[in-house]
Amino acid sequence: MAAAAAHAPPEDGRTSILSASMLIGPATVFVVIGLLAPLAILFRYSLNRFEPRRMMVEAFTAENYIRFFSDPFYTGIFWTTLRVAALCTIICLVMGLPLAYVLARTQTRYKNILIMLVVLPLFVGNAVRAAGWMTLFGSKGFLNVSLMQLGVIDQPMQIMFTEVAVIFGIIAVNLPYMVLTLQSVIEGVNRNVEEAAFSLGAGPVTMFRRVLLPLALPGILAGTILTFILGMNAYATPVLLGGPKFKMMGPLVFGQFQLNNWPFGAAIAFVLMTATLVLTASANLMVQRRYRR
Amino acid sequence: MTSTFHLNRRQLLGAAAGVGVTGLPGAALAQGKGKIVVGTWGGDYARLLNKNIEQPILIKNGWEVVQDQAGDPQRRSKMLAEQRLPRGTSDVQGLSSINMFQMHDAGTVLPIDYSKLKNAGNLLPSMKYPWGVGHIYSGKVAVYNPKMINPAPKSYKDVFDPKHGNKLALIDIQYQYTIVCAALAAGGSTTNLEPGKKLLLECKKAGMRMYPTNEAFAAGLKSEEFGIGVMWKARVVQWQNAGISVEAVAPSEGTLAYVSGFVIPKNSPNKDGAYAYVDAMLEKSAQEAFAVDMGYNPTVTNAVVAPDLNKRIGFTPDEIKKLVDLDYDHMNKNDTALKEWWDKELKG
Repeated sequence: MAAAAAHAPPEDGRTSILSASMLIGPATVFVVIGLLAPLAILFRYSLNRFEPRRMMVEAFTAENYIRFFSDPFYTGIFWTTLRVAALCTIICLVMGLPLAYVLARTQTRYKNILIMLVVLPLFVGNAVRAAGWMTLFGSKGFLNVSLMQLGVIDQPMQIMFTEVAVIFGIIAVNLPYMVLTLQSVIEGVNRNVEEAAFSLGAGPVTMFRRVLLPLALPGILAGTILTFILGMNAYATPVLLGGPKFKMMGPLVFGQFQLNNWPFGAAIAFVLMTATLVLTASANLMVQRRYRR
Repeated sequence: MTSTFHLNRRQLLGAAAGVGVTGLPGAALAQGKGKIVVGTWGGDYARLLNKNIEQPILIKNGWEVVQDQAGDPQRRSKMLAEQRLPRGTSDVQGLSSINMFQMHDAGTVLPIDYSKLKNAGNLLPSMKYPWGVGHIYSGKVAVYNPKMINPAPKSYKDVFDPKHGNKLALIDIQYQYTIVCAALAAGGSTTNLEPGKKLLLECKKAGMRMYPTNEAFAAGLKSEEFGIGVMWKARVVQWQNAGISVEAVAPSEGTLAYVSGFVIPKNSPNKDGAYAYVDAMLEKSAQEAFAVDMGYNPTVTNAVVAPDLNKRIGFTPDEIKKLVDLDYDHMNKNDTALKEWWDKELKG
């Protein structure tokens, strides 16, 4: 019995290692084969050279990256993407936080229906949703026709094919992600803590700033990162609502592949991915440090 | 063992093509002749390939046909990516004439052996490319809304006139053909495109509009956001059928031709099937059906198009004589530079 007890821990250890391997194994294999390997190939492509007749020529050059960063046309698209993604994230956060708070705290029996209503836009694809915005924003769309009939405007407003239309479209796509993330985290914050703050004389703003915000911070960060990443990589919405003159990084990458310029397309894809990673990681670190103090 | 592997791989690749077996009713018959994987655009074109070529000619005769539906950039990328493989995943690929040349130039397609096509004798000589076969054709004509534009344009020069201001519109995805049309309007040629670029910049300054796709262009035309531009004559017929107020004019400089055809990848797993497909698409019945259903002109001389339909979709003998083809080599060499100019200068 003593011998059996002495052998028990190693067996448990082996079992737990085996269980852990079995649990993380399939996902790890999938990620390595489905994501990391193609990324490595794409990175190698980004160091190749493009020749119109031979398409991709084996090389080991940084000229695609240099071309991107030295041309104001491409850096302009990069900054536009960053601006749109940041703006959409801030608006989603500002609009999503009160909504998520109400959803988290409501006691109504219709809570599940309310959550379903938030998720409802995700039931249709981005392209279909953009088509809806097109009928709303077009020069003879619902908005312009209504305003003209009400006498508010006498000429249709140009909303389609503008940055404003793209921002509207991306917010509509991203808002449910932000609300759902925030709602689940706020639900985990004990309501008694808020009550305690109020009973000690804190107003709603102070309670939010000193109690709810620090406690809900992981959720706010997760929602912000998710929304920002989706905004940076938006494709269908900028193409359909932004029109031919409005450019973001996602459509730019695809455009290069359309021209069979794989090396430059791969380089732009890596710039986009690296920028998104660096910005989200930096924001995460900065916010965590600030609230740790 | 080899044959087992071969069969499984074919099935897998067919499935990976992300597509539907278009000839399920003929599946029982398909065992005799094998499978043909066809790369094509989706939508109406794919549906009509099935209705007019695959079902009545190939599947009926024992072939199994699988469509690999995707945009042509994706399919061209796939052809390039598969170039080094001994066996590719498609047997024929539907592409525009400029992209057929591009794939030929990249060394991915088989030279066509016209002796293997029983319908080759009926094919218009201009549709017999050494690297591919023309399936249908139309031309880039001047299009205008008669309620907004008076007098009617007679030439590309009348279309690309800065005086139209924001009543003139372009289509973003048609940059190659649009630049050439503008070059012809400005006295350039299919290889001298600089005058066209200059003219387009003048039109831009005057307020010229740009739409992302053919469909968005049609919507703008319908809502009278603009009244003049250039487009394939076949599309104009479709728009007229949809009730849009639009007329087409073959320009006096000569109409820039648009040809859509098929190439056979060098590593096509079923080359006999590929030739059978190309031959079937040249059948009189299939060609006539495409003219009726899609408004494109037949590429074979024995196809009969009703006079009233021909008046709407076709070109007069004089206009046919004046059809202008792209200089494929020049366009292919300069495509990236043209697109960059289009994006940076014209759209910027």
